[in-house]
Amino acid sequence: MRAPTMQARALLLSLLATLSFSIFAIGCGKEKAAPNLCDNQVAGALQPPLTDAEQARRRAVCPAIQAELGSPADARQCEPGSSILTCPAGAHCNENGRCELACVADTVDRCGGGTCTAEGRCVERGWLWVILDFPATKWVVLILLLVMPLASILTWMERRQSAMMQDRLGPNRANIGRVKLKGILHFVADALKMIFKEDFIPANVHKGLFALAPILAIAPVFIAFAIIPFGPTIYPHVFTDVADSSLMAQNADAYRDAIRLQIWRVDFGLIFYFAILTLANYGGTIAGWASYNKWALLGGLRSSSQMMSYEVSMGLSLMGTFLVVGSLEPGFIVEHGAVSTMSAANPANWLWLWQPVGLVLFFTAAIAETKRAPFDIPEGEPEIIGYFVEYSGLRWGLFFLAEFVEIVFISAVITTVFFGGYHVPYLEPDGFHAFGQALRLPHGVVVLLQIGAFGAKTFLLCWFQLMIRWTLPRFRADQLMNLGWKILLPLSLANVLVTALIKLLTLN
Amino acid sequence: MSQSHSHDHSHDHHEAPAGAGLKVLAVHDKHADGRPRVRTVQVARPESEDTSFLAATAKGLGITLKHFARNLFLPMKKLATRAEAGAPAEEKYRNDIETVQYPEEKVTYPERFRGLHRLMQRDDGAVRCVACMCCPTVCPAHCITIIPEETRAIEQDGKVRIEKRPAVFEIDELRCVVCGLCVEACPCDAIRMDTGEHARPVEDRARAIETKESMLGRGIHSTATQGGEGPNWRQHAGARGPDEEQDPHH
Repeated sequence: MRAPTMQARALLLSLLATLSFSIFAIGCGKEKAAPNLCDNQVAGALQPPLTDAEQARRRAVCPAIQAELGSPADARQCEPGSSILTCPAGAHCNENGRCELACVADTVDRCGGGTCTAEGRCVERGWLWVILDFPATKWVVLILLLVMPLASILTWMERRQSAMMQDRLGPNRANIGRVKLKGILHFVADALKMIFKEDFIPANVHKGLFALAPILAIAPVFIAFAIIPFGPTIYPHVFTDVADSSLMAQNADAYRDAIRLQIWRVDFGLIFYFAILTLANYGGTIAGWASYNKWALLGGLRSSSQMMSYEVSMGLSLMGTFLVVGSLEPGFIVEHGAVSTMSAANPANWLWLWQPVGLVLFFTAAIAETKRAPFDIPEGEPEIIGYFVEYSGLRWGLFFLAEFVEIVFISAVITTVFFGGYHVPYLEPDGFHAFGQALRLPHGVVVLLQIGAFGAKTFLLCWFQLMIRWTLPRFRADQLMNLGWKILLPLSLANVLVTALIKLLTLN
Repeated sequence: MSQSHSHDHSHDHHEAPAGAGLKVLAVHDKHADGRPRVRTVQVARPESEDTSFLAATAKGLGITLKHFARNLFLPMKKLATRAEAGAPAEEKYRNDIETVQYPEEKVTYPERFRGLHRLMQRDDGAVRCVACMCCPTVCPAHCITIIPEETRAIEQDGKVRIEKRPAVFEIDELRCVVCGLCVEACPCDAIRMDTGEHARPVEDRARAIETKESMLGRGIHSTATQGGEGPNWRQHAGARGPDEEQDPHH
């Protein structure tokens, strides 16, 4: 026997055990409870005493808070995540709806080893928490586990589904050995083909822009996914327990290590989506221009005119939902639903019921935005082929993929805004509640169910978009403009007006 | 959206071009007999056609959804129903897909389908062909190659019997136009095209050439007379047409 090897193995095993134990022990950090600096009694007793910077911040922030401090303890000064009921800049809103200032960044350490955020919050976070909560980690998880598989499968599903709708069979042959999976592997075959094709660049094209265009088409869509909450907030410490809603509301210590399954929580979330996705349009336009081909140029021009027409009504058709919910932040819309009197997990509280006109208008405009039939004027296969006529191989593949990622993205947005996002009907954080009955479930199960629900809803909407794409014939250019400017735009304006009126009348 | 979009394709699209609904504005040109040759007409399109997207969309989605659901959830029709045009058998609870999944599924061809060639055999299994060169002569595609040779056999009575047979008999299936003239021309019932098989797909052209051996492998024993010997198959054949029996030449 070689004893040294055994010892090395034992050492390695114990190291691994220690490592994994410490991962769990350190685990994810917590936001620290800290005294409120705006409370004069607290501030006076502090050691070390307040610095000048802290005094200045207190003077700027605290009067507004203290004006409200006298109000009853259950009165809400602010709403976490809301863009309307907010605290003064520099302070933050705690989970009870009260404004707080716990520390001032870059001054004295009031957090006892933790870090102080710009909004005066004390945070102590473990490195695992930091990794998991790092936006790039979430992005990788979202893109690799949901978006790319769905988009790839859509390329196959589109051909198969259209075949089924037309009494054909569709592609069902691609296989690896005996693994056939009804032809799902066709997307692998497609990808391989595109990768191994010659990367051909025609002689007269503008080489830089020609290379840039496919990237411009696909990158913004991936970026826009940052605002989508693709799952509930995860509390790693209570993964195997039933989450306690009342404790959660009181912001108990156990619930301070939350990981939001949303990459970027920002007040202007949906505006950000409009802004970023508009950039994708440059992909098509620049491709058309750089190709030095009259058909491609026509396609690019058509693409930009179509985008311009439909982006207006797209934004306006969502205005109604902003008015109803009071926030542009997708996570806030999902967490709160249309009204506060119902649970957000109640399907009647999702916005499809409150903004049906907005839903139809947004769906129409969003499909136009993907440049697919019946809005595929920029491609126009029988006549001009489209802005990517000079592209081949993987560069063309990027345009193709961008189209499908956009389908997934639009489905994700509609799921989030109109269909309750990750919510499973009647599934609260601690289990199902329906018809007076309760079925309690561990937090982990709830999380998995909710992530699954988000995927399922998105998938169904993707399917529905394919149904529309293979049912309707292409619009003529004039019909397209008529629909955009004469029907969608007035209707969405009317929708905003009516929603605002109702909101006004019901406010008081 | 145009009118053709909004209606179901199964009925009403047989309107005469100059039917009701067309108002003649002017006649520009006339035939000698006074019939109008060119007319300017006003097409009566409903004003609201551009606003009827939603109803038409819903109707169209209903149709495609019905087909999609049927084809997704119901089993395929039986092969016979799919393969034969006009086969009745409208089975219930089957989908609408007509595709025959060749090569897993194969349609049985008609009895007289001309397929791959085969060479027939004598009683002893030898090739019946006597290399008379009729088939390469008649072949319009020049796809048959025959190189004849002599055979010598000493019979039981001591006579030396000399016959002709093909040393090489090749058919290039890529050139063959499957006309069947070789079979018509053959005086010995040596070549037939009744295998019911296609020419096979091959990876290089050389493999598409059928040799004597490969075609003989598909052949069976033929009872036709050859060289005045053997039974007259015409007398033994059970099913003969009445015309043939009354033919005075036989």
